[in-house]
Amino acid sequence: MKAKKTHYTSYLILAIFGLYMLFPFVSTFFYATSTKWSNTMLPNDFTFKWFIQLIEDPNFAAAVIRSFALTFTSLAVVLVVMVPTVFLVYTSFPKVDQFMKGLVLMPYAIPGVILATGLLRMYSGTVIPMYLVLVGALFIGSLPFMYQGIRNSLESIQTKKLIEAAEILGATRLTSFIRIILPNIRLGLLITTLLIFSGFFGEFVLTNLLIGGRYETIRIYMLRRMNENGHLASSIMVAYFLLLIGISLVITYLTSPDRRGPKKSKRHQILGNRISIAESVSILKIGVKKEKRQRI
Amino acid sequence: MKRKQSRKTILLLVPFFLMTVMFLVIPLAIMVKSSFTSETTGGFTFANYFEVLTNSFYSQSFLNSGLISGFSAIAGLILAIIVSYAMTNLPDKLQDKLTVYINLAANFAGVPLAFAFIILLGNSGVFTLFLERANLPLFGEFKLYSWQGLAITYLYFQIPLGILFIYPSLKKIKKEWKEAAYMLGASSVTYWRKVGLPNIMPSIAGTFIIMFANGMGTYETAYALTGSNINLVTIRIAALVSGDIYARPVIGSTLAVLFAAIMMAILALSQMLLKKVRRDLA
Repeated sequence: MKAKKTHYTSYLILAIFGLYMLFPFVSTFFYATSTKWSNTMLPNDFTFKWFIQLIEDPNFAAAVIRSFALTFTSLAVVLVVMVPTVFLVYTSFPKVDQFMKGLVLMPYAIPGVILATGLLRMYSGTVIPMYLVLVGALFIGSLPFMYQGIRNSLESIQTKKLIEAAEILGATRLTSFIRIILPNIRLGLLITTLLIFSGFFGEFVLTNLLIGGRYETIRIYMLRRMNENGHLASSIMVAYFLLLIGISLVITYLTSPDRRGPKKSKRHQILGNRISIAESVSILKIGVKKEKRQRI
Repeated sequence: MKRKQSRKTILLLVPFFLMTVMFLVIPLAIMVKSSFTSETTGGFTFANYFEVLTNSFYSQSFLNSGLISGFSAIAGLILAIIVSYAMTNLPDKLQDKLTVYINLAANFAGVPLAFAFIILLGNSGVFTLFLERANLPLFGEFKLYSWQGLAITYLYFQIPLGILFIYPSLKKIKKEWKEAAYMLGASSVTYWRKVGLPNIMPSIAGTFIIMFANGMGTYETAYALTGSNINLVTIRIAALVSGDIYARPVIGSTLAVLFAAIMMAILALSQMLLKKVRRDLA
């Protein structure tokens, strides 16, 4: 009886929350599909002309391409550096692991604006191109998610035991990493990558401060058009969010338990990410204990 | 033999630490150094700190950022707990899917968010004009490009962020505990006071710190919504560093160093306190 009552309240709370969350999305969509919308509750008409105008603007295409280029470059650097590092640290250097747990929290203390201040002082006007600096800054910014994401994937497949077994059978560390670990954490990696992808693609603060108008990514383009034509700017946002929703759909699909039977454990990986990001902050001490136990 | 291998493999960590040193450690060090450098002579000085700490314009920016972050973190946290708790009552499948979309909503910050609110509630926003015409004084006093606007927009991205951290820890509260407590005669209030809350308290505190830090570091949303009208510390720093007219990078660095120092102190302090809480629990 009582459980049922709680259920109704829960749905009510979630419905109100959902409305609050959807409200800006929906209004942006209607704004993007109307010629003019003012002082009426609902827009007067429905049109795709802003989208057409957008597609015809070469600057938009250029901005999208730039955003993709920046995102893929940064993702490549992040993955190539982080995956082997976290693997090694997790399997062989528990002390470094502890140190890194603290280090990856740094972006919380040093948000984009602060990091950009330091980077500008250091690198502006030097031989190092600012584009590279931006990639480096994105790398730093993605540390908390990447580190936790990879580490959780490794943890969920019991990497230490797998490596031990492989070594008993005569495999080197490198072989077991490439042939056993990588194929097993593929899905977890993909999900972490997709989450970071949406972050990189929509990055604004670092890009704007470090490079600014010289490298107009989609967010910078958005801000520029926002001051010119609101309806057009809305259509950019709709396009941008369709992309992000697409990514979210892919993630839900990949993590869906119905997709493949034996992969069921992977479903928890994405939740696992979240749990341990929170835990890395709040329950570091338990982590220490766990580490110690594992070492023994 | 293991030792030898260790020594060789540690070289593989070089790329990571190289990146961290180049793009985190050195820039921070340079920032600290330039905060002690005189703008005019280039020599060592405390003058920048003296200026920043005595100029009420700058101290006000810290206070403003702290207030809006504190408000949005507390209000956002309370709402996040309520929503997370409601989520735990849903069917499991739905819960997992929801978290993905809440992640999406947490990403809906900055320029798009500010703009969506401008469309609706700005000076010539749809709602504003509609209500004006209908002579409804409901939002009569509401001004989007002010503290009220910042509060609403900050809340919008703080709540999903809070949920992403709070929800997993609420999930860990076992139904059996509640049943056991009730069976031993505990009331709902006693259960939450003695069992439920102590269990999620550390993660609530941790989430609060993250949300506060998130609010303090917010630049894009505030910038897109109010330009430089509102005196927030991130907006001040960005203007000092990259502004064309008022560029004073040395003062910007000083503010940034103070900001980073304060945030690191808060993070470190919260870690210490949390460890203490945990020990009490054990």
